Amino acid sequence: MASAQESSLSTNSRDRSSIRNFFFSNEFGLLFLILVFATIFALLTTGFTSRFNLYALGRNISIDVVIGFSMMVVIVTGGLNLSVGSIGVSAVMFGGWLIEGMGSNLPIALILLLLGGGLLGAVNGVMVVRTGVHSFIITLATMSVYFGLMIWLTQAEAFRNLPPEVATFGRTKIYGYLSPLLLISLGVAIMLAVLYRYTSLGRNMLAAGANPTAAELSGVNVKRTFILCHALSGLLAALAATMLTCRTGAAIPSMTGHIGQDWLLPAFLAPVLGGTLLSGGKVSVLGTFFGAVLVSLLTNGLLLLQVSEFWVQAVLGALLLSAVLLEKLRNVVLLQNRFI
Amino acid sequence: MSQQITLKTSGISKSFPGVQALQNVEIELHAGSIHALLGENGAGKSTLIKILTGVYQPDEGSVKLLGQAVSFSDTKEARRQGIAVVHQERHLIPRFSVGENLFLDRLGEKAWSWVDYPKLHEEAKPWLAAVGLDLDPQTPVKQLSVAKMQLVEIAQAISQKSRVLLMDEPTASLTPHETEKLFSLLQKLKEDGVTIVFVSHKLEEVLQICDYLTVLRDGQNTCTSQPIAQYDRQDLVQLMIGRKEQIPAWQTREVNRQSPKLELRQVSTEAGHQDLNLQLYLGEILGFYGLIGAGRSELAKSLIGYFRMTKGEYLLDGKAIHVSGVSVARDRYAIGYLSEDRKSEGLILQHDVLQNSGITVWRKICSKLGWLSDQQVTNRVSPSIDKLEVKTPSLAQMVGNLSGGNQQKISVAKWLAAQVEILIVDEPSVGIDIKTKAYLHELIRELADQGTSILLITSDMPEIITLADRIIVMDDFAIKGDLPNNRNYEEMSTGIMNLIHS
Repeated sequence: MASAQESSLSTNSRDRSSIRNFFFSNEFGLLFLILVFATIFALLTTGFTSRFNLYALGRNISIDVVIGFSMMVVIVTGGLNLSVGSIGVSAVMFGGWLIEGMGSNLPIALILLLLGGGLLGAVNGVMVVRTGVHSFIITLATMSVYFGLMIWLTQAEAFRNLPPEVATFGRTKIYGYLSPLLLISLGVAIMLAVLYRYTSLGRNMLAAGANPTAAELSGVNVKRTFILCHALSGLLAALAATMLTCRTGAAIPSMTGHIGQDWLLPAFLAPVLGGTLLSGGKVSVLGTFFGAVLVSLLTNGLLLLQVSEFWVQAVLGALLLSAVLLEKLRNVVLLQNRFI
Repeated sequence: MSQQITLKTSGISKSFPGVQALQNVEIELHAGSIHALLGENGAGKSTLIKILTGVYQPDEGSVKLLGQAVSFSDTKEARRQGIAVVHQERHLIPRFSVGENLFLDRLGEKAWSWVDYPKLHEEAKPWLAAVGLDLDPQTPVKQLSVAKMQLVEIAQAISQKSRVLLMDEPTASLTPHETEKLFSLLQKLKEDGVTIVFVSHKLEEVLQICDYLTVLRDGQNTCTSQPIAQYDRQDLVQLMIGRKEQIPAWQTREVNRQSPKLELRQVSTEAGHQDLNLQLYLGEILGFYGLIGAGRSELAKSLIGYFRMTKGEYLLDGKAIHVSGVSVARDRYAIGYLSEDRKSEGLILQHDVLQNSGITVWRKICSKLGWLSDQQVTNRVSPSIDKLEVKTPSLAQMVGNLSGGNQQKISVAKWLAAQVEILIVDEPSVGIDIKTKAYLHELIRELADQGTSILLITSDMPEIITLADRIIVMDDFAIKGDLPNNRNYEEMSTGIMNLIHS
């Protein structure tokens, strides 16, 4: 059959070009940088390779990865979600109230707080789709609204009497230096990769993000798809905050910073470093994962080198800028050489 | 006529990835004349205009302005040298005053210098008078009609001492009366020694107002700067499409017109149609002829639920339906729409062939939980892609890198794969080569023979007479009439023109 031949031929050439392209890719660049910095830190600092530090680093990585994903799934639409930090902390405070205030058991509280995060995300999505206002403005507003409501409802009181399983899970060590949180973020990464690669919904998200009009006229329900992207973002933010709660052992109103701003830099850094297109329609789950690893690694290593916290922030900011500029440059070079 | 030559190009060539847009193009513009630049869509007119105005740089060849070789690094440079363009769409800032818009690029000497508004508005007056605009320069542009905005743009061009004025489809959105006024202004400018390049699809207007003629076809000259007096309408058509307006000797098709497949009764839409009635029968090819802006694409988009219907009945197989969105039209009622604008509405250029051709079938072929693999999509779309003979190195090729003809084939392939019962085809042969066009025509006929009802929107007269069983003429969002196609070109084209101007 001609069509069978055609398809096998195209799969082959896809494999070949993907191997060649891997060395030009963001993912490869990030892996390279991760190895370089890991080597530098291992040589220059004492304690970088200690079991304790690797364990702590792994926990940080796993949270940063999920924060990065919570932004990535909205960047796919060509938009963004500034309220990830607010949604995250609001969701875990809701969970804490369910447990301490309502006496609900842990699994139910967990499910409800994740759904709560998804709901706050969906509210963002509905407003973006209905008003046509850019998600920057909508989520800038809801970032303050969600955080304000949460502070008002909780009277800024933390929930410190969570079931012991929460903190125990956060402290668990596999082989002495691996955190189970890392497995959660790996699981999320695999699920997202499957979503974009092997489901109709994921493909709709990419198509609608790349060209909403063309997708709509081809029969994709763009509005619903965008709302789902925002809901997924809220759900992932809630998950990241839950993982953070496992680490700290308590749900604290200030755990993501004032109005959740501590999360903004890692949230944007991971997907942008990873090669997710800010204009939408292209995503790299692996890249976002590596991006978050690099961010956590740099933070950890610089702190071990006794660089002050403020300088670490400055370095991360500079990293975001150079990632955007490099991406621009890379595209120009690739275009000129007709690689893409 | 012994007129001075203002601008002359020789051997202009320009290519883009996969396309030779212009090849050895020559044009010679005489001072104080109106020069028609004709060609089908995709023939290279807009590329040539973009080269003359500094948007693109030619790969080869030279441009001479008053005998001096020039090369424009950007549009500003071209404008400084006296070449201005008035585009088909308006490019004014709506909230700014007429005067500000007129002098937008020289509001002050330096970025920080004070704008002297009284002086600016005073200086605007003579230029507005020169184009016959009697209005206060302080009026915000957004209060003007489209025709007046166009005159402001012309005033802007002549205030910059432009020697050459390029006008792209200037009458596309004007009423007949406004068109007459524009033409008398162009005559006046011409007498003042301005060179005007007139790009239009309306051949009657071209014959009425132009002095010289240049025609492009597939990026090459088929007529170079000849006096237009020696040509008639048929000649222009032949120069543009390379043959007379003749049609393949296909049989007239039998269509059973007992009960309509799709019917509209007294339908009004949010796009602006009022009380439309329409019947489309099983296996029929119904042609929709009209000028650009007649409301045909908007009607198509209303049929698939992209625009809302505000009144009236929409029936499919005799049953009233409500189409709330394109996904409903596609999945529940098997209606598809092949957009005229494949770059921004039809395809996702940065995605690959497989994603683009599979977008209409993901929902249909995925499992209950939404699982989908590339292999499943490939199996579903390969027959369509093979049938259309899409030339692509692989299914993983980015669609933006393919030629126009192959892009169009992918737009078609995705709707073939969707297996719709009603297919709306909007301007299927814009910007594609003749061979692909002929191929698409055969395909559309074949689909109709197999029972697909086709609604064919086209502004290409030979195309509609080739394909349609019945022709509906639309103008200004209203249906002007309905003609059975007897495939006699003379008779049909006269009939269609009479309906438009009735």
